Amino acid sequence: MLRLSSAIAAAVAVASAFLLYAVSYETRHMISTVQSQERQIERLRSDIAVLKAELAFLSRPERIEPVARSYGFVPASGIQYTDLHSVEPGPGAVDPGSRTEPGQRSSR
Amino acid sequence: MSLAASHSPAAESHAARAFAVALSIVIGFSAISIQLVRLALQGQFAEPRVAMTQTLTTAVWRPDIVDRNGRLLATDIEAPTLYADPAMIIDVDEVVERLVEVFPEFNTAELRRSLSDRNRRYVRLKRGISPATAQRIHNFGLPGIAFRNEPKRVYPNGALAGHVLGHVNIDNQGTSGLERYIDEVVGIEAFQAGTPGSLKPVRTSLDIAVQHALEHELRTAVRTYSAKGAAGIILDANTGEVLAASSLPQVDPADRMQGLDPDRLDKLADGVYELGSIFKTITIAMAIEAGTADLDKVYDVRVPLRVGRYIIRDLYPLGRPLTVRDIFVHSSNVGAGMLALELGSERQRAYLDRFGLTKAIRTEAGPLAAPKLPRHWGKAETITISYGHGMALAPMQFAATAAALVNGGLWVAPTVIQPSSPDTAKGARIVSAETSAAIRELMRLNVDSPHGTGRRAAVPGYEVGGKTGTAELPGRGGYREKAVIASFLAAFPMSDPKYVVLVMLHEPKPTEETNGRITAGVNAAPVAGSIIARTAPLLGVMPQRHADARAHQ
Repeated sequence: MLRLSSAIAAAVAVASAFLLYAVSYETRHMISTVQSQERQIERLRSDIAVLKAELAFLSRPERIEPVARSYGFVPASGIQYTDLHSVEPGPGAVDPGSRTEPGQRSSR
Repeated sequence: MSLAASHSPAAESHAARAFAVALSIVIGFSAISIQLVRLALQGQFAEPRVAMTQTLTTAVWRPDIVDRNGRLLATDIEAPTLYADPAMIIDVDEVVERLVEVFPEFNTAELRRSLSDRNRRYVRLKRGISPATAQRIHNFGLPGIAFRNEPKRVYPNGALAGHVLGHVNIDNQGTSGLERYIDEVVGIEAFQAGTPGSLKPVRTSLDIAVQHALEHELRTAVRTYSAKGAAGIILDANTGEVLAASSLPQVDPADRMQGLDPDRLDKLADGVYELGSIFKTITIAMAIEAGTADLDKVYDVRVPLRVGRYIIRDLYPLGRPLTVRDIFVHSSNVGAGMLALELGSERQRAYLDRFGLTKAIRTEAGPLAAPKLPRHWGKAETITISYGHGMALAPMQFAATAAALVNGGLWVAPTVIQPSSPDTAKGARIVSAETSAAIRELMRLNVDSPHGTGRRAAVPGYEVGGKTGTAELPGRGGYREKAVIASFLAAFPMSDPKYVVLVMLHEPKPTEETNGRITAGVNAAPVAGSIIARTAPLLGVMPQRHADARAHQ
């Protein structure tokens, strides 16, 4: 009786030891995966910060302006703005009244 | 002893012993199982938390600074810090030799001493080194020499808006300007290795494009007029938001020594100046507000004002009595003095108080230099202050008051942070809407009229209005006639001012185009005009095209 129960207890102990080992191994593996992914995230975040700074550095107006001017661009001036109503319709232009109608309908 | 005889008591004791053994085995196994479970569930998987528990660095992560459109002005990146662990160093001489080879500025004796101290585990050698240098040192393969990443502030736009941004110290903590405000108000995050900050960016009121345009025009002006320096600010007239602010020579926020250079002082906020005739705008606003004058009231300015041994006369006398309009447009010192005398010293001072010009104010980028008021406020001071001498103040403070004078009369506090809601900015009423309308009329007249001192600031379509000011710089025993600060106060569009522009040129020299003159009308006014012409489209102000276009046809 005692021998049987001892044998069962021993078997359970061995089984639980194996089970625990398997679980702990798996956990350890997952932890190392998580850690490596966290490190990767940190590296990527750091890279993003550098790239963001580089993008801002490359698009700084001090650099863009001479480049733009070398292609013949100039700063926008007031002359380039005009009121829509002051534009004379060219030949074949659509009557502005008919063009506004669909918009009016949809807004209703 | 017979078996039968020994059976009963001995068997009982046998059974008891066996039971005791079994029990102790069960207890033993249970203890082992419990320990096994305990260890499996927590113990050994936690990361070993030994390595270095002491704080190695006081560095911090800072939030990004962006302009009003979200463009980056300042950000943190990780940069390697070179350090040594003396306990791990095998050959101190070799390490010292190699390091000095890369960093000739290192002090050999000191380096050898600190690296020889085997009780220390962390000796910081150099912060923020470039990845290439780090690789070079790494390639030496020196034991005990290693790197760790630390945050480093970078300013991708170089010196752009340097005065507003301020500086950080070696630990990445803000020491001046907006950077200091971030430490004190917004909040920073303690640095832990490998966790880049997740802080919300600080959105300033600046606009990178406008700021660049302003700086570019000011630099051109400094070259054209061989000026010693220049400053300019573009202020939202209704909210006090600073769209652009620049003071030349600039400071590079990445170079913390430049912040201490007195030549690079922020002329807008940290310096106080006698502003000259642009101050007449204030004097006339007072007189109209107090009811002692209106735009058509005539003053006989032919007689110079006499106070003690001083005689105040006009630079270009017209030889006829002038209306308040003429006093403004021709910038008559005598006229301004008469307006102020009529008002009296007491009321002049009270109005300056009300206009927010006598007390120090501050923006998020730091306190503005406190106004310098005369110790004795007599008749002479009343007259000189009326045309902007005898009282010195930070130009940004003046610009804020000017914004209130043209926006309908409500005080606005200058701010470099975008306010969360646009309605919170306006403060107390400092002048009536009527007075504000009169000031707008005068400023527009001064640019629009062919005789106005500000006519060279005109920009077709944008209804520019403004006032010139040429203030002689104080020198030894009086004023230096050839050294002036030429300034121009402008606002546009004058029918409903959206922006106030203040431009100052420090010690401009005469040029051929200015016919040898150094007054603001020939230098500061055209500079203000070109700044407005360039920035108005960026600021989204629509030009009044039709009326002008028809007029030109």
